[in-house]
Amino acid sequence: MKTNWKYWIPICFVAFWGLIVISYRYAKPRYKPDNISDLLNDFSWLINWPKWLDFPLMQPINSGFDWLIMEYGLFFEGINYFLLGLYTTMKNSVVALPWPLVVILVIVMTYFVSGKKMSTTILIGFCTFFIGFLSPRYWDKAIMTTCIVFIGIFFCLVIGIPIGIAMARKPKLRKMILPVLDLMQTIPSFCYLIPGILLFGLGAVPAIISIFVYAAPPLIRLTDLGIRLVDKEIVEAADAFGASKKQKLWGVQIPLALPNIMQGVNQSVMMALAMVVIASMVGTRGIGDEVLLGLQQLNVGMATEAGIAIVLLAIIFDRVTQAYGDKIQDKTKPKNIKKV
Amino acid sequence: MKIIQKAFTTISLLVTLLVFSSSAYAACGKVKLGDFDWDSANVHTAITQFILEKGYGCKVEVTKGSTSPIMAALYDQQLDIVTEVWRDNLVQQIEDNIAKGNIIELGINTPESGQGFYVDKATSDKYGLKHVNDMKNTKIAALFADPEAPGKGRMTSCISGWTCYTINLVKHKVYGLDKLYTNFDPGSGGALDAAIAGGFKKGKPVFTYYWEPTGLMGKVDLVKLKEPAYEAKCWSEMMAVVEDIKANGPEVYKPTCASAYVDMALTKAASTRFANKPASKPVLDFIRKYSIPTAMVNSSLAFYIDESGGDMEETAINFLSNSNIWENWVPSDVASKVKAAL
Repeated sequence: MKTNWKYWIPICFVAFWGLIVISYRYAKPRYKPDNISDLLNDFSWLINWPKWLDFPLMQPINSGFDWLIMEYGLFFEGINYFLLGLYTTMKNSVVALPWPLVVILVIVMTYFVSGKKMSTTILIGFCTFFIGFLSPRYWDKAIMTTCIVFIGIFFCLVIGIPIGIAMARKPKLRKMILPVLDLMQTIPSFCYLIPGILLFGLGAVPAIISIFVYAAPPLIRLTDLGIRLVDKEIVEAADAFGASKKQKLWGVQIPLALPNIMQGVNQSVMMALAMVVIASMVGTRGIGDEVLLGLQQLNVGMATEAGIAIVLLAIIFDRVTQAYGDKIQDKTKPKNIKKV
Repeated sequence: MKIIQKAFTTISLLVTLLVFSSSAYAACGKVKLGDFDWDSANVHTAITQFILEKGYGCKVEVTKGSTSPIMAALYDQQLDIVTEVWRDNLVQQIEDNIAKGNIIELGINTPESGQGFYVDKATSDKYGLKHVNDMKNTKIAALFADPEAPGKGRMTSCISGWTCYTINLVKHKVYGLDKLYTNFDPGSGGALDAAIAGGFKKGKPVFTYYWEPTGLMGKVDLVKLKEPAYEAKCWSEMMAVVEDIKANGPEVYKPTCASAYVDMALTKAASTRFANKPASKPVLDFIRKYSIPTAMVNSSLAFYIDESGGDMEETAINFLSNSNIWENWVPSDVASKVKAAL
């Protein structure tokens, strides 16, 4: 598909001038010259960026946001209620368990998830124990953080993987979504954390939303990449055997893309954990607020201790997802096929 | 080769000249201002910066941060001047550091300011909430329900690293509010503002710790709850408990007395190293005289939020052009330079 520049250049040109006219029109009178022709007599506006050349984006965003709260307040309230309910039930049920039981459950889960790998299981058990061992205060907070990461990642998986698959199939869609992913990854997190508070209030929900914004892109990218990297010959072979689209996706493409998708999940989890620490600045309870407290009280020891606890949590998440990835890779490996 | 050499000499001469002329211009040198993450401090910093740059020809460097790091940098002589110090919240630190010779105080910045527990006006009128004791009611607590702590109300409190968080914690216990409300740490100043503004936008009851002068205060209608009147003896007794909790955790709480926050004067401070430099004398004289009434700060903040479009420099220019109290702070030649720059 070739871009038709004959049409696009004039359109861009008109749009550009339109923007400039809008900015001039909406600039405050005291910034503007009395007469527009003054601009041609006095060229001082070419030296420092003139204050009238300022695209008015802030006001519309503010009023748009107010409108969103007014009109759809109930809708956001509903999301808030749902996510918060999910989070509190999950958190309260885990916090209520005796801690040795939680450690044992984590060990047992790791053992089976990792395909009975002893080394991983021992490492994870040790890390889990060490979180509470560092400071008893961290135990409940680590559980809160884990619950938030879990819910956030759940939404990343449910929404991210289908988007990744769709992108791999439709190059046009990919072209449209890639800039959005870039935006999601680079826009400073406070840009969506603060509106998150206005919409959902302080606490866990803005954190869950920001985890989705921040952690979904790598998963989407790697799903897309993984599916596109599946050997063309293999897909052709599946076609030749008369596989339907669905069969091709579930029987060939996804299993072969799994290493990449699991890598995406792993990256997502790591980024989610990083976001939880930032989210402590909007009142999200969890291990991040220990780091923040250490910072605010200039308590190096406290900040480092909490930092180590976060690293331990990261090791647990990382090892478990990696081990699980390795296991299902072994499982879905095409059997009885000789490598050419 | 000759030409290159000549060119080189000329360039180095020119550069030397330039360096000399610019350093002669900036007789005042470099001033490092410390700024905080709330808007009243930003206004003072912007006004000071404008006067120092345009009037005294200083090169001003502003460092922004939250209380602890900025104050620590001032004690450590890394910053020169802080124009808004919430002295009464930091009494211990400030007095220690004055005694150690790390900083000197430069007088009052804003004569009075308030902080305390606030409820939005609509809820206050509807349920007659005027005093902290009025909050001691399960039905009232249910209005401010904390979604993460079933059965409790939520008071959005101060940021947990700030002393006021611990003060609020102790006050809650003394007033008997701790059974009914969580002392909820919003994590940062911006988050606290957003929580209040969000509550108003959605028309939800708001129960929060807050302070003035602030820009948000001019935009939302908050009613300050009455507390037992401030009393120095009671306050110092309470602060002893607060400092103990800050050092050893909430378990060391013991029953104490509590009172309202004092209507405190905000002060200014400079690092001793900067203050002892002979070249800083004119700057210090100016900072000593600098003082703006609370109402003026509030109106500047309102201008900042509603009209400046978030431009602090413009807010400073607006203040300097519409008021002349600042002309008393500086010598007349400096004043005329500042006026010329407006």
